[in-house]
Amino acid sequence: MSINRTADRIRSGERVGGDEALELYRRAPTALLGRLADGVRARKHPDRIVTYIIDRNVNYTNVCVARCTFCAFYRPVGSSEGYVLGFDEVFRKIDETIAVGGVQLLLQGGHNPDLPLAWYEDLFRAVKDRYPAFKLHALSPPEVIHLSRLSQLPVPAVIARLMAAGLDSIPGGGAEILVDRVRAILHCDGKATADEWLDVMRHAHRAGLRTTATMMYGTVETDEERLEHLLRLRALQDETGGFTAFITWSYQPDHTELAGCEATGIEYLRTLAIARIVLDNFDNLQASWVTQGGKVGQLSLAYGANDMGSVMIEENVVRAAGASYCMDEAEIVRNIEDAGFAARRRNMHYEILGDPIFREREVPRMLELATARVAGDNTTPEELRFYPARSRSGKQERLQDGRIAGLQDGK
Amino acid sequence: MNTVADAESLAHSHDIISIGVLADDLRRRRHGTRTTFVRVANVAADVGAPVSRPAAAGEVRIAGVPGSRAAAVERVREVASAAGRAVVTGFSLADLEQLSARENVTLRALLEELRAAGLELVAEAPVDRLQDTRRSIEEVNIAGMALARLTVDQSSSADPMPLLKAVADLQRRVAVLRAFAPLPRRVNPTAPTTGYDDVKHVALARLVVDNVPSIQVDWSLYGPKLAQVALTVGADDVDAVSAEDEVAGGPRRAPLQEIRRNIIAAGQEPVERNGRFDILGPLGTLGVVASPSEGRRPREERSP
Ligand code: SF4
Repeated sequence: MSINRTADRIRSGERVGGDEALELYRRAPTALLGRLADGVRARKHPDRIVTYIIDRNVNYTNVCVARCTFCAFYRPVGSSEGYVLGFDEVFRKIDETIAVGGVQLLLQGGHNPDLPLAWYEDLFRAVKDRYPAFKLHALSPPEVIHLSRLSQLPVPAVIARLMAAGLDSIPGGGAEILVDRVRAILHCDGKATADEWLDVMRHAHRAGLRTTATMMYGTVETDEERLEHLLRLRALQDETGGFTAFITWSYQPDHTELAGCEATGIEYLRTLAIARIVLDNFDNLQASWVTQGGKVGQLSLAYGANDMGSVMIEENVVRAAGASYCMDEAEIVRNIEDAGFAARRRNMHYEILGDPIFREREVPRMLELATARVAGDNTTPEELRFYPARSRSGKQERLQDGRIAGLQDGK
Repeated sequence: MNTVADAESLAHSHDIISIGVLADDLRRRRHGTRTTFVRVANVAADVGAPVSRPAAAGEVRIAGVPGSRAAAVERVREVASAAGRAVVTGFSLADLEQLSARENVTLRALLEELRAAGLELVAEAPVDRLQDTRRSIEEVNIAGMALARLTVDQSSSADPMPLLKAVADLQRRVAVLRAFAPLPRRVNPTAPTTGYDDVKHVALARLVVDNVPSIQVDWSLYGPKLAQVALTVGADDVDAVSAEDEVAGGPRRAPLQEIRRNIIAAGQEPVERNGRFDILGPLGTLGVVASPSEGRRPREERSP
């Protein structure tokens, strides 16, 4: 089918197939892709509202056994640069988040064999005890699978326990490209195959959780595989309707084992636009200003995005791989309004919470994103000694503490 | 089609795709898919400061404000003797205006001295800082030099149209402007220009300043992502690509590879030039000299 006929079908609201989408992605001029994607956005959001959320991207540990080749964030078990945040550190971050109008933590981390399921449950309960209205958007599908393996419980049981402890929603991280050929090359098939990732989301949706979906492109995948990823997400969304939003970003190569080059800004806009066209059953598409910078992040609003993502406050993973952009609420709102949209705060369910906080009360300007820990701080949180470790170095560390004896079978 | 009228009507809209398409059409009619770029080695204006000239540099640019007329001439001599075959450019015409006034010499006399010392082009003329814009630009020509680019120091108004019309009018009078870099060199750090601002500004510049051959974007100042987008909305020339393979805390990979990759991913053909706008051969050698306006016929934009 010609590009023009496909474009007409999209304009009239019809669904595109894989081959048509691939043809568009490869051959359509960027401006046409942008216009088609903007048309889909306008149909879904005719009110010209662009949303954002104030939250904090907290990475509770950087210790990880998965060792994905595209990751610059993780440290192996036993590394002197490995860390686990203490509960008090998490509380402090929540206090800071609430102070600037934040409503949730996006809580993700490495696959640390020395943090059992009970640690997560206790953390979630402690957060909910102190901050009952605060939301936990936590643990991407590979982390859920890791906990399932660690605890030897099936995924639905892990999700049920985490929900009982306070989990509100699941972020769509760890999807990378949902094609096992790609995942094997990136050494991330072990943490979750494509089917496993989708299965966690299926279980989460069935359990009543809403989740997001992501795609990291620009490593070793083909155009066809990017489209296959989108089509698999679309099929699951047809089945469950549980995804609230889709976010795509380009692989950030600095300090990674895989290395290579970052995909360009135009490639980002094209990829965002094709995603908006293909994912006709997703209500929301986020702009990834964290990887693209504020300017291309803002241009995303003309290429299908209707959400500027998160004010974020803190970010560690993308920064480790070389990108270090920062936008506070005032800057995000300025960008949204400058593009001709109305800016509204939202929660994870994309319910509108109100107008910008900084217009209601004074909020300090933020010119730099915080980090999980200040450099050189490798203190071990007090409470860790109450949880059994799995790794040799973890066991030694906790036994050295002297108080772990007798608790190994406890929590 | 009346491009200026089209530009006027789109200048206040948020439809950046339509304005980008209009500007891209005009750019393609003029340059085809060819995008030129120049690798620049910047050196300080202080006499005696080190002159590092990477072999890849197509231009050695003296950046900064000269302390005196004698220091400016001496510095040009030093840089010219170290520059090899790279084109020596330098200074802002606005700074030279001020220097000549301070030292009680005519601008022409100062420019002639600099030329005799080895300066081939004045690096930039910030249109919003010049005292006597038309005359000073003409003096560059009369002194036997060229102006590398007309720039904007700091955008003072949300509406770029008056300035862009003034630039087009200036070119009608002087007819020597080779390139215009419309994005401001200095921005307010607490409210930097947005992506929409920059795209609109570049596109409007192409549409309104249709009598200047090249619309230029600065790679090091605006970064690869925005610069690449600018190439799809009217810009056809990339300035200030680093001539160094590694810059501390700077580019993530070899600049040549990165600029070429970005231009190709924008559906265009990368062509390296030197500071004189001569097209360079594959290894940075001076190849067939051709005007960038003699680009190939436009072809369908390719996907990344
Ligand atoms: S991407 Fe996640 S799972 Fe993979 S190595 Fe990094 S922290 Fe571990």
